[in-house]
Amino acid sequence: MVNVGALERLKEEGMKSLFPSTTKIMVGMATCGLAAGAHEVWQLLTKEVAKSKTDAVLKKTGCIGLCQHEPLVDIIKPGYPRVTYDKVTPEKVGALLEGAAKGVFKKGIMARIDEEEFLLNGTHRRYSKGTLPSTLRSVVPYRRLPFYKKQMRIALRNCGSIDPENIAEYVAKGGYFSLAQVLREGKPEKVIDRIKASKLRGRGGAGFPTGVKWEVCCSAQGSERYLICNADEGDPGAYMDRSILEGDPHSIVEGMLVAAYAIGATRGYIYVRMEYPLAIERMNLALAQAGKEGLLGKDILGSGFDFEIEVCQGAGAFVCGEETALIQSIEGNWGEPRPRPPFPAVSGLWGKPTVINNVETYANVPVIVAKGARWFNGIGTSKSKGTKVFSLVGKVNNIGLVEVPMGISLKEIVFEIGGGIPQGRKFKAIQTGGPSGGCIPKDKMDLLVDFDQLTKAGSIMGSGGMIVMDDRTCMVDVAKYFLSFLEDESCGKCVPCRVGIRRMREIVEDITSGKGSEEDLDYLQHMAEAIKDGALCGLGKTAPNPVLTTLRYFREEYEAHINDKKCPAGVCKPLITYSIMQKKCTGCGACLKVCPQGAIEGKKKSPHQISVEKCIKCGACFEVCTFDAIIT
Amino acid sequence: MVKLTIDTRTVQVAEATTILEAAEKLGIYIPTLCHHESLKPYGGCRLCVVEITKNGRTDLTTSCTYKVEGGLKVKTDTERIRKVRQLVLELLLAEAPEAQGIKDLAQKMGIKESERLKAREHDLCILCGRCIRACREVVGVTAIDFAERGYVRKVASPFFKSSPDCIACGTCVYICPTGAITMQEVDEGQSAQVPGGNEIAGPARIIDNWKVGLAMKRCKKCGEIIAPEFQLEYLRKKVNLKEDHFDICPICRE
Amino acid sequence: MNSLTYEQVIDEIIKKNGSASLIVLLQEVQSHYRYLPEEAIVLLGKKLEVPLSKIFTLATFYRSFSLKPRGKNIIKVCLGTACHVKSGTNLFEKAQRDLSLSEEEMTTGDLTFTLEKVRCLGCCSLAPVVRINEDTYGSMTQEKLSKVLKCY
Repeated sequence: MVNVGALERLKEEGMKSLFPSTTKIMVGMATCGLAAGAHEVWQLLTKEVAKSKTDAVLKKTGCIGLCQHEPLVDIIKPGYPRVTYDKVTPEKVGALLEGAAKGVFKKGIMARIDEEEFLLNGTHRRYSKGTLPSTLRSVVPYRRLPFYKKQMRIALRNCGSIDPENIAEYVAKGGYFSLAQVLREGKPEKVIDRIKASKLRGRGGAGFPTGVKWEVCCSAQGSERYLICNADEGDPGAYMDRSILEGDPHSIVEGMLVAAYAIGATRGYIYVRMEYPLAIERMNLALAQAGKEGLLGKDILGSGFDFEIEVCQGAGAFVCGEETALIQSIEGNWGEPRPRPPFPAVSGLWGKPTVINNVETYANVPVIVAKGARWFNGIGTSKSKGTKVFSLVGKVNNIGLVEVPMGISLKEIVFEIGGGIPQGRKFKAIQTGGPSGGCIPKDKMDLLVDFDQLTKAGSIMGSGGMIVMDDRTCMVDVAKYFLSFLEDESCGKCVPCRVGIRRMREIVEDITSGKGSEEDLDYLQHMAEAIKDGALCGLGKTAPNPVLTTLRYFREEYEAHINDKKCPAGVCKPLITYSIMQKKCTGCGACLKVCPQGAIEGKKKSPHQISVEKCIKCGACFEVCTFDAIIT
Repeated sequence: MVKLTIDTRTVQVAEATTILEAAEKLGIYIPTLCHHESLKPYGGCRLCVVEITKNGRTDLTTSCTYKVEGGLKVKTDTERIRKVRQLVLELLLAEAPEAQGIKDLAQKMGIKESERLKAREHDLCILCGRCIRACREVVGVTAIDFAERGYVRKVASPFFKSSPDCIACGTCVYICPTGAITMQEVDEGQSAQVPGGNEIAGPARIIDNWKVGLAMKRCKKCGEIIAPEFQLEYLRKKVNLKEDHFDICPICRE
Repeated sequence: MNSLTYEQVIDEIIKKNGSASLIVLLQEVQSHYRYLPEEAIVLLGKKLEVPLSKIFTLATFYRSFSLKPRGKNIIKVCLGTACHVKSGTNLFEKAQRDLSLSEEEMTTGDLTFTLEKVRCLGCCSLAPVVRINEDTYGSMTQEKLSKVLKCY
């Protein structure tokens, strides 16, 4: 008999923890927060709170998505709106705490929340009581910030609002009740039907209908089945999965439990890349907590259903994000993809039927169970239901994680949510889909983002990485970058990928060195088409996409490198020279100090000069000049 | 039995037959390189790609690995296929310009080297993996395997030193399509240098690439090599056989 | 670490990790020695009755494994796409210059530092990013990098 006593207890505990009767201070402690200096802030806050003898409570939380504004500190003082201070440094802590104690809100608040509604169970909580304090009237509520206005957080529902190391808070927000519901219903086939009806498609990049995959696995021959979570988020520039693993690990555990019950798996693996140590730590902690509360292991919640999950660490291979290579890795082999068919759903880990899904896919599962397939169908486009998390990075003002309903345009993402291009520079392209994707130019920005639309432009949505590029980004260099990346990561099994990508990179490198010819562009096209068709796995097959799209949309840049021996964006070192604009140079000497070659000369307060012979083009001078006087 | 169509001709074959095998039955030529009938299908060289149409969808796949399915429509010679084969051979010709096996195959298929690709020098290995797979699947000692990954992948003995598991059977030498692995037979009374090692007196066999030199037992009757001495000695002691038990090879003993 | 023999360490690792995969065992060996000593993994192969060539393949396929001794401090300069467009390569070359390293030799002679490229650390919002051991530094500049290196 399914017994939810543990869940009810945890829920009560969690609500008290989420809304204590004393002031609560939350610090964003995901990897980006830590990289921005959150640890020092946390340590200082801990010290000061202890010293002040208040009963304020200090909590860690995950990433709210506006990563560039880290370190972020939330103050929740009972009766007052919840406020977020951004770019908090140890120097600002004192004033912050003083304000919190007195209910006075100082400068430096990025946004506020007046009330909150939990997505899963509709629990409604009003933070502020009475009239809004005057000092907060000018502070914008989150939902009105351009960055958040169009967002809808489903997979990221708990990131930044719960302590990821506290299972009770996860339960208080409705967590694990979807699992309980499914176990109570006692019909695995119903779960599969519901996921099929929701039309959820895999969020890892391929977009295969999740429900169909589960169904195929369920009907495959054999009694043993496995479940795998692909947390090997290798696309450079993409960190959606990392944020969920660090900020809401239990959502993955619950998603996997529901999936395991649906297909009849007894053992699950979460394959996390080793470059995410905090994610591995938080996931292991979550698994231990879930086990302790009877949510993992034998006879889960008294239902008779058994399921164990183990974390597997990657060992530094992008190709292990490809499902068959990932399976090889778990089996203790090197990550060499296997030919498909057979597909993993039929013959996967140890030859048994296996479902592999991405982190974000699992994060959606408990929500679909709780709110129903019809609700999910109401979001997104006809063929791409639900939301997608994107990492919006590069040359854009509001860098961070964005979760939006599918069907939003690229223009809205970059210019409204992203706030446009910084430093007054011009938008040039957006690169989507990681190394498997392509670069989309300005005149295609009206394209809607979903699983299918971006293919019209030669790219893909992929796992969600979106890198914005401006006029100082060289598109030929971008093509070279992706080819170098894949050359490094190719497993080496098949000729088109192992040799083809290397040879393509050599040709593009010749072009960036001014040694290319017009015929090279045709040969690159020939190679690209043959590699797309001939390579064994997705890595190889999609490797030519960055080259193909940059050739298609930025051919003039290639031609400038070939015919004029120039790099218009000022990036390709063999074709640029660093020089100082005499009119803008104030002679401050900052560049002279940092030049490792002593290549800069000039008297104080007089315009300086760079000696081309000595210059090694390291860019140190460019970095320190505050007058924009250095050009390439 | 499964019925399928290859190049508009129908053929019926047993289940678990590959498209390559089915095509062979019809006498249709599909070029291969990493494939060998005594080894499990690998799908690495991509020369054997064919176009398959199933449920209205057309894809390219390697015919050596793909098991036949009822109603499958296969094409073995289309524009897409020719482009893949052309690129693969152009790449391999540049990788191993001195490999006669590759040159012959390219010539047979009418493919010339590409002027744009600078030839690599002095390396005959094209990483088809036949040697490794034979060592693992047929001989069963896994004395060699791949090292590194991607373009810099190599076939190697562990740490690039003398392979401790090699029994100098010569299977890798025999199965290599480009002659990249070389072997020296050292006669009785002679001696030779083991690469990276010492001199070894005959009868012995040296596999140069794996830096292995093993004293071999010759049959006293027919003169053929039986096996490495160390192996036979190990067996002889284990099973407690007479000292001269392995002086005669199994064939002569009959 | 220096007092135990290779055999003792390997035996302990095998005992502690039961039926874990070879990759996990190699990760344990590397965690103990900071790299994979040849003797240690030869022993591992013998004790597990796994061909040495297979272990060598694993050790050379995965980038996290090193067959050469590594420095006490591992510097990982992120060269993910977001970091690349923000001059991550210049930062990497700066580290190389400061530590007198090259493509062939990425560990300082005194074994204080090993420099590695990584793609990516998932901190794209703070590009360019450098990680030294467990510390992740965002918005790194060439100047800051020189200063930070002195702390280790």
